[in-house]
Amino acid sequence: MVQALLPLLAPALLLAAALPSLLRPGGPDRAAAVRLEWAALAAFASALGAAWLLWTAGPGTSPVLGLGGIGLSARLDVVSVTMLLLVCFVGWIVVRYAAVYLDGEPGQRRFVGWMGATVAAVLLLVQAGNLIQLAAAWIATSLCLHRLLLFYPERPQAIRAARKKFVFARAGDIALVGALVPLAVGYDSLDIATILEAAGQGVAPAGVLWSAALLAVAAALKSAQFPSHGWLTEVMETPTPVSALLHAGVINAGGFLLIRFADVMLLAPGALAGLVMLGGFTALAGGVSMLAQPAVKTSLAWSTISQMGFMIMQCGLALFPLALLHIVAHSLYKAHAFLAAGTAVDVVAQIRRPGPIAVPGGAAVARAFLLALVIYGCVAAVLGVDGKSAQSLALGAILVLGVAYLLAQGLADRAPRALTIRTAVYAVATSLGYFLLQTLAENVTAGTLPAAPSPGPLEWSLLVVAVLSFGLVAIAQATFPLWSDHPAAAGLRVHLSNGLYVNALLDRLLGGWTVRSGQPHVHSHRELGT
Amino acid sequence: MNAFTQDVRHPQADGRPASVDLDALARAVDAAARQIPPAWPLAATVAVNPFLGQTGEPLARASARLQRVGGFRLTRPRREYLDAIDQGVISDDDLRSALDAAPERHDLSDLAALKRAAGSPADPPAALATVAELAAGADGTDWPAVTTDRIGAWAAGYFDAGQALWAAPRGQRAWAAYRAQAIHDLTPEILGLSGFARFVAALPDDPMDAIARFAARLGLTASALESYFHQLLLGLGGWSQLARQRLWEAELANGADQTVGDLLAIRMAWEVALFERFEDRIADAWRGIAAAHALPVRTSAADAVDAVLQDAAERAAQRRLASALAAPGATPVAAGPERPLLHAVFCIDVRSEVFRRALECEDSEVTTSGFAGFFGLAAAHRGFASDVTEHRLPVLLTPARTSRSGGESDRDADRRARFGARARRAWGRFKLAAVSSFAFVEAMGPVYAGKLLRDGLRLGRAGRPAEPAPEFDPSVALDERIEMAEAVLRAMSLTSGFARLELLVGHGAGVVNNPHASALHCGACGGHSGEVNARLAARLLNDPAVRRGLADRGIAVPADTLFLAALHDTTADSVTVFDGDADTAAHQADLARTRAWLAAAGRAAREERAARLPRAERARDLEWRGRDWAQVRPEWGLAGCSAFVAAPRSRTRGRNLAGRAFLHDYDWRADEARGYPVLELIMTAPVVVASWISLQYYGSAVAPSAFGAGNKLLHNVVGGVGVVEGNGGVLRAGLPWQSVHDGRSLVHEPLRLTVCIEAPTQAMNDILARHPAVRALFDNGWLHLLSMDDAGGIVARYAGDLRWAPFEGAGESAPARDAA
Repeated sequence: MVQALLPLLAPALLLAAALPSLLRPGGPDRAAAVRLEWAALAAFASALGAAWLLWTAGPGTSPVLGLGGIGLSARLDVVSVTMLLLVCFVGWIVVRYAAVYLDGEPGQRRFVGWMGATVAAVLLLVQAGNLIQLAAAWIATSLCLHRLLLFYPERPQAIRAARKKFVFARAGDIALVGALVPLAVGYDSLDIATILEAAGQGVAPAGVLWSAALLAVAAALKSAQFPSHGWLTEVMETPTPVSALLHAGVINAGGFLLIRFADVMLLAPGALAGLVMLGGFTALAGGVSMLAQPAVKTSLAWSTISQMGFMIMQCGLALFPLALLHIVAHSLYKAHAFLAAGTAVDVVAQIRRPGPIAVPGGAAVARAFLLALVIYGCVAAVLGVDGKSAQSLALGAILVLGVAYLLAQGLADRAPRALTIRTAVYAVATSLGYFLLQTLAENVTAGTLPAAPSPGPLEWSLLVVAVLSFGLVAIAQATFPLWSDHPAAAGLRVHLSNGLYVNALLDRLLGGWTVRSGQPHVHSHRELGT
Repeated sequence: MNAFTQDVRHPQADGRPASVDLDALARAVDAAARQIPPAWPLAATVAVNPFLGQTGEPLARASARLQRVGGFRLTRPRREYLDAIDQGVISDDDLRSALDAAPERHDLSDLAALKRAAGSPADPPAALATVAELAAGADGTDWPAVTTDRIGAWAAGYFDAGQALWAAPRGQRAWAAYRAQAIHDLTPEILGLSGFARFVAALPDDPMDAIARFAARLGLTASALESYFHQLLLGLGGWSQLARQRLWEAELANGADQTVGDLLAIRMAWEVALFERFEDRIADAWRGIAAAHALPVRTSAADAVDAVLQDAAERAAQRRLASALAAPGATPVAAGPERPLLHAVFCIDVRSEVFRRALECEDSEVTTSGFAGFFGLAAAHRGFASDVTEHRLPVLLTPARTSRSGGESDRDADRRARFGARARRAWGRFKLAAVSSFAFVEAMGPVYAGKLLRDGLRLGRAGRPAEPAPEFDPSVALDERIEMAEAVLRAMSLTSGFARLELLVGHGAGVVNNPHASALHCGACGGHSGEVNARLAARLLNDPAVRRGLADRGIAVPADTLFLAALHDTTADSVTVFDGDADTAAHQADLARTRAWLAAAGRAAREERAARLPRAERARDLEWRGRDWAQVRPEWGLAGCSAFVAAPRSRTRGRNLAGRAFLHDYDWRADEARGYPVLELIMTAPVVVASWISLQYYGSAVAPSAFGAGNKLLHNVVGGVGVVEGNGGVLRAGLPWQSVHDGRSLVHEPLRLTVCIEAPTQAMNDILARHPAVRALFDNGWLHLLSMDDAGGIVARYAGDLRWAPFEGAGESAPARDAA
């Protein structure tokens, strides 16, 4: 029974390493940073241990460490172990990076403390076995992160972004608590596994619809869904490792919440439908806004918004295993993209070297879409479609629409044959990779996460709308060079690049541009360091 | 003359006279643009003197000017000078001689007065307020920040070199592009400046007309224009500097560019829109500021004190330099064999000094010399499988020839490489486009676990793989090749005593994940690494036909002398020899010994550098330091640079100059008969480039907010051309704070460069008289000039106006030299 507590070792190690820095936060401290790095590595090892435990002993929940049934308990199943491994791995890489990156920084010790605390809070969240721990870790994650976002507390831009984030985070906290109370009362338990099992059997006490709806709201607020997304594009005001952790480890919490309570969410098709629409819209609007961003980190932030939208849409379609896959895949990609954002100068310089880009014409785009459908058909035929839900097939179709863009570049009239062949190979590899990972995710989570129910009329219409709208944007993107320079598109570009002014409106409401007392007038001339 | 400008010349509706004519206005715009230093895009950036616009005036006056328009001083806090005086680093003699030489002394009567002044902190500098700042005071909204945020958001798109897939519309000049954008942007309206889009829409199409209207609306007199314009452009930081660089490039090609003026019009549009909005509350205050701009810049007593203290700090450094040069050399003088086995030519870059000293310590058969790392070949180069032309030469010059990597036999490989690059580019677009990014993440995301491990454990590689040997394309006729070879050798003062192996060593920095990587490369090669130029030069000098031509011109290169190119990785202190470029069959033994020397010298150099670098406990750590993606201080670059010595290597050989000196080999006796052409070249090219580097470090250290690139931890690369701190706002040019500061103190002591030349003072005077721009640098103290005698001692100091004075430190260093 003691080994069931193994997952709790991971946050304990990080907290132990972070605590001295939290107690005495001033000054640079190389040793503290290195200590946290080793603690993070040890935490990763304990997460591997937890995975081994799951493999050998099967899923379960540890006894509650605490008084009167309130305290810490570790849930061990595919969802929690996957998240545990992911957060520990990314956390270790990020902490290791930060140890070098912040060397000599006057606030290094404070950074180490809050970084360790934030990762620990996320680890407590993802393995939570009971509702109290879940809510507490959820709130703690956000509060710790807030301290990291204000690592340079004197920067007005940082304050402006953190203030917006704070408002949405507190609203999300309220929604979460509002969702959990009816759950605990309705199922008469604080134990998450107990609740899920009952919900999985179709037990739906009064208030569960409210719970599902509020869970959806909390998730949307946490994962920066429109219109609560703006702050995410403005938190480059803190050192890069914070961005990496935020985008790879923290922002997923909304999706994690939905996956964790998948059985409950399935009881409320209306809430799921809402998530499909909200997620789908955020995915598309975020994706298009990203295209117009000239700054690398800002562009990555928009990409996160759009990816989170896609993930929330997957949850709304009840494709929880795929949403989990998405969280893992996106976190790994985005952590790397942020930490490697310094390569942007090189990357841009490389673009022009091999000569002009071959722009695909309308016919090439049409051919590309046909070819993409053929690839989709072939891959589906090879791997088989038995047992695949309509939702999952629709999602595959959306992804194949994206692959068409790759093909279109190779099919442009001026593209040499070698390029056509290479992009076709990439396209096939991508499609295969996607379907294999999808199958893997579904198999691994079978038994833990519910399968998508067969779609009713509402779901069918949502599927059609989703495929059509993603298809439309995919065509727009493939034919992009043909219309983006048109003056009629200029206004659209300005509005999208400004994120449809959500930030400006919120700043106006929250007084984000108000001059603070003691703030020098000349902003660009603030002295650094000494 | 259109109707609008006539309006400007007539009294305004409110009765204010409009006094500025368009010619005076255009002159003021141009003059203000020239107060701004250019900044090169980060893909190939070079150090720039941030005070390029102020070299016509001395430090105190430039400091007074920038205090007025920027709110910062060009000197260090008094406390730091006082510490140096207390610790004896700056002596009373230094203070006294600096005081005697001061162009403006105000009420500083004597040493005691100077010391008293040093002990009392100067008042914090305050800039004149802009309209945006007055408006902020009037309604509590941070209008200056809104202004820079909005202009920055537009400029990031306008200067974008390829980051955004949906690029801002191209092909318009800045003013038109800005207006096209601003009429759609709802942000100003939302934040409270209603009607701004309509205001912009109604502005004249010609930005000069707009500026004229604005100047009249703000009641600016002709004499106030330049100062006010300078302030607005300075406030736009790197955006103005990027625009100024376009003017620089255009003028180098005998063209013109209006981007700076356009930016001024854009910034002024905000000023006037805010003025109209808050006129009733700020008009009185504004009238006073407009009048203050019209006054000439005057230095205060505090400015004079600061400038004298700074000069004294530099004199102290010169004393230290003089005694370092006078000390006996630690390396045995290369007196062994008649002819050295290895002679290696390094770039004058201060980082070469450490390595050269270590290399010469290895064996008395090794000699080295210093020369500008582009080896005199001003080539516009195209890399392997690349269509992009890179100017691998100092930015002061225009390319003389074109070259490319790889010859006819590499064409197939070139094509294959291009296909690979294009496929990767298509993949990159797939990764970033709106819908396909989901497919990318779901299919490829897990692969990044491997990439995170690879980069986290520093298993990646730094720098690009070596390309095929470069060659001139089109090829150069024999006569010209001989001429080039002769010019290069004479400029290097290398016309006899050739070694068996002549190594031409370019340099570059092997770093990863660093937006400022090009700032660590070779400035003389235009912010690229130096191997292309070294390989071109070696090939040129190995050509038998060229050798025959050289012999005819009195430069006999022995048949068994082989030129080889090499690349010095300044981060890892490793040297790659391009031995595949030439037939080395007869030199295998020499090459083997050379490799061993280079490896040993690398170890010694790493040992020395590790002591200065944070988190480099062991010298071995430097071997992988460049591959660390989290490292913000992979190397110190040219931090610490403070001297430039043009003299034979024997004057500096074996002296530890601590990686702080540019070393250029120069033998004035060989130059005398020809009328000092080499001296003229040195004083007008390498010295000027070195002054840009030294003053860039100076500016980034004393005025980091205006001339530094800010905090690397917050850098957000914009458009592939520059960085902003955090979300946006002004572009930050110059050096990042982490490049001059180690977290505890400055690692670059801000000193203006001291140039020591072993040559007759009359020859130097003649050259200065012919080059007024160079002379201004010395006359106004942006550079110090000292002359060395035939024994290598510093004897005279250039005192301005083509006058020379005895060097004050000469007395104390002479005995040491005699003892040697």
